[in-house]
Amino acid sequence: MYNVVLEQFQHYYKSLRKEDLSLLHFREREFAFLQFDEQTMIRHMSFENEAEMKDYLTIRPPAHLYYSSAYYQNPQDSNMGRKGWIGADLIFDIDADHIPTECKKNHDTWKCLDCNEGGVGFPPEECPNCKKKRISTNTWVCDECLLVAKKEIFKLIDDYLIPDFGLSEGKIEICFSGHRGYHLHVIDDSYKILNNDGRREIADYVRGLGLKPDLHGFKVISKKDPLLMGPDIYNKGWRGRLAKSVYAHLNKCNSKELKKLYLQEKNEDEEEYRERVLQKISGSPTWWGGLSEAQIKKFYVIALEAIKDMACNIDERVTIDTKRLIRYPNSLHGKSGLRACRISYNDLERFDPLGDAIAFKNGSIKVYVKDVPKIRIGDTEIGPIKEKDRKEIEVPMALGIYMICKGAAKPV
Amino acid sequence: MVKMQKRVFLTKEDQANYPFLKEATNFVENFGVNLRELSIEDYPSIIPRATQWIQDNIEGNMFTTNIKDPDSDILAYPLALAFLFGLKKEWVINRFATSEQKRIKTLLLNENPEHIIEIAKSGFGWDLESININQEEAKFQFSISVANYLEIAPQFHSAEWKLINRYVDKGKVYLRNLEYARLLSGAAENKIKKRAMEEEVRKFELPEKFKPYLINITKIIEQKKDIYDEETPLIWVEEAKPPCVIAMLNDIESGKNLSHMARFTISTFMLNVGKKVEDVLELFSRVPDFDEGKTRYQIEHIAGEIGSKQKYKMPKCDVLRSFGLCVGPDALCEEVWYPLIYYRKKIEEMKKRPSPVPQEQSEELKKVRKRLQKNV
Repeated sequence: MYNVVLEQFQHYYKSLRKEDLSLLHFREREFAFLQFDEQTMIRHMSFENEAEMKDYLTIRPPAHLYYSSAYYQNPQDSNMGRKGWIGADLIFDIDADHIPTECKKNHDTWKCLDCNEGGVGFPPEECPNCKKKRISTNTWVCDECLLVAKKEIFKLIDDYLIPDFGLSEGKIEICFSGHRGYHLHVIDDSYKILNNDGRREIADYVRGLGLKPDLHGFKVISKKDPLLMGPDIYNKGWRGRLAKSVYAHLNKCNSKELKKLYLQEKNEDEEEYRERVLQKISGSPTWWGGLSEAQIKKFYVIALEAIKDMACNIDERVTIDTKRLIRYPNSLHGKSGLRACRISYNDLERFDPLGDAIAFKNGSIKVYVKDVPKIRIGDTEIGPIKEKDRKEIEVPMALGIYMICKGAAKPV
Repeated sequence: MVKMQKRVFLTKEDQANYPFLKEATNFVENFGVNLRELSIEDYPSIIPRATQWIQDNIEGNMFTTNIKDPDSDILAYPLALAFLFGLKKEWVINRFATSEQKRIKTLLLNENPEHIIEIAKSGFGWDLESININQEEAKFQFSISVANYLEIAPQFHSAEWKLINRYVDKGKVYLRNLEYARLLSGAAENKIKKRAMEEEVRKFELPEKFKPYLINITKIIEQKKDIYDEETPLIWVEEAKPPCVIAMLNDIESGKNLSHMARFTISTFMLNVGKKVEDVLELFSRVPDFDEGKTRYQIEHIAGEIGSKQKYKMPKCDVLRSFGLCVGPDALCEEVWYPLIYYRKKIEEMKKRPSPVPQEQSEELKKVRKRLQKNV
């Protein structure tokens, strides 16, 4: 890596206060580092305290710094069996990279490693030309996709963690990863002993996976004269979510869909029918009656389709893993030079990841830019610059380091 | 609505019935029962009760505690566990734990709510709340915290126990009808199985002087082993592969880059059905990013040949579903929760109804059938 980047990283770690590195259960965590231009991670590190860690970071500023979600009796032991697992934080990871968004076609490209076919946007699962699966990507983030990631975090907190899991805002710690997304840590001892199976259930719950409508109160009580019992929109948890999803779908579908999906009598007025059923679903007590069994089956299909909007787009592997290495808050991300930072729930709304996470606030740098889409860091926008128009420009330090870390520029 | 709870006290009889209660373990500790010093002369009633407990649980008879002498049974339980762990047979431990689960569930169904709450608190540190809500299809009697619920419920492997299919509100899961008994007895079962996995227990050797008391139990174990010792046949049978494994193998064939989890699944599957490290290595040599050194290291690790020296188990169906590796179950999948059980059942099915198999497979199948016939 270029000296200027190493110097900036070093300068940043020097300027940190030891409180900036504070972490719950510090002594029981394993720490891991990845140095610039090195492939192998240095693992199984442990430190006496934050001051000792700060000294280490100042001497050897890493490209990436991680800590274990788990707490161990012997965090420095390289044998996982002897480490003595005590417990682990419950963590959620939301990554803009994993969420298909419209903006991806403006800043992401992919290339097939077998036939060189390429394109823009979210990468296909297999190459449309040669059908092979070896696909490399060049991805960036913009305000739009980071906003989508933020919305997912809000959804996770406001729709799941607070109402369903009964967590208060004080028990939730949000971190911007310094690159493409957010981590959410649940600070609650009752979850720390859960094994992978228990954590998988939580991941499935927020992802809407494995949902069975008939276990949420949908029930045919008479076959002859179909009468359906069901959940109501005031119910809590997934039970209420299911009722709401059918209500929302019924409310917004056009008359053709309405006819196809719901109408029993071909000559019944569609709007009257819609009005009648919506009233029934939202009434108290709820009544889903007067539908045929076939329609009920369709309801299930609709419900399962509609929940897709309600489910959370988390990376389940992070939640399930009881021994995950997670980026250290207030460390720098080696692929962006941005700071991984903690954000309180109240500040999340106005948090600007591409502004507030800037670590290098002073100075400018001359860089030779090879190929970037339109990007923004802080108040400065640049691009798109195509490879054929590569040029030398002077930009604020944070933007320069960002492009260098992404491999799209080099210092002049 | 939450009702005011009336505090109840757990009696000696409760402690004998539910030996996982804090009061029972405290009693045993205070008594200072020590395996090395214990002799049949000192406690004439304890050893027979301990062996009876194991025998009943292996044979599937419900062990009944002696209400006239609960103290002996409270003391007999830890001794029964010591015998059980000293026998060093995984299937016997599982059978004992499962029978305990059934025994405890039956007892719990006859307890009143105050008692159940106290048992949950003392045995597992759980805060059950008594509620009384009638929903259209179910009556909710108790609620339990999500974290406590998830300690046990995932091991039940059915859709109705999945968290997403439960009524969840403000950190509480509502338990329908008599589900509390399944959850609590499941926790008791789990406690035994977990204890058996602890290093201290795995290293435990039963003092010689007790072995004569286990002769009868050893005979029963011999008789029952063919029925309960469900070890997967260590033979590769091409036609018995579960759909998820077939799909992953097809992906490898077509040059797809498999996820880490898919590679792990394939490796554990093959190593558990008699394939060797070399066979797995050969298979992975077809993936685009094959690196022989790394792959060999990982497979040897999974096979338990290096590292922790423990052979890894194949992931359960739940896990594969979460990772998107379940390709849509066939009819047999619906009956199982573990791909290796699918494999075993499929072989049994094939044995019963011989289906046309390719020539090169028939010899191997004959071997499987022969082996299975011996076991049944």
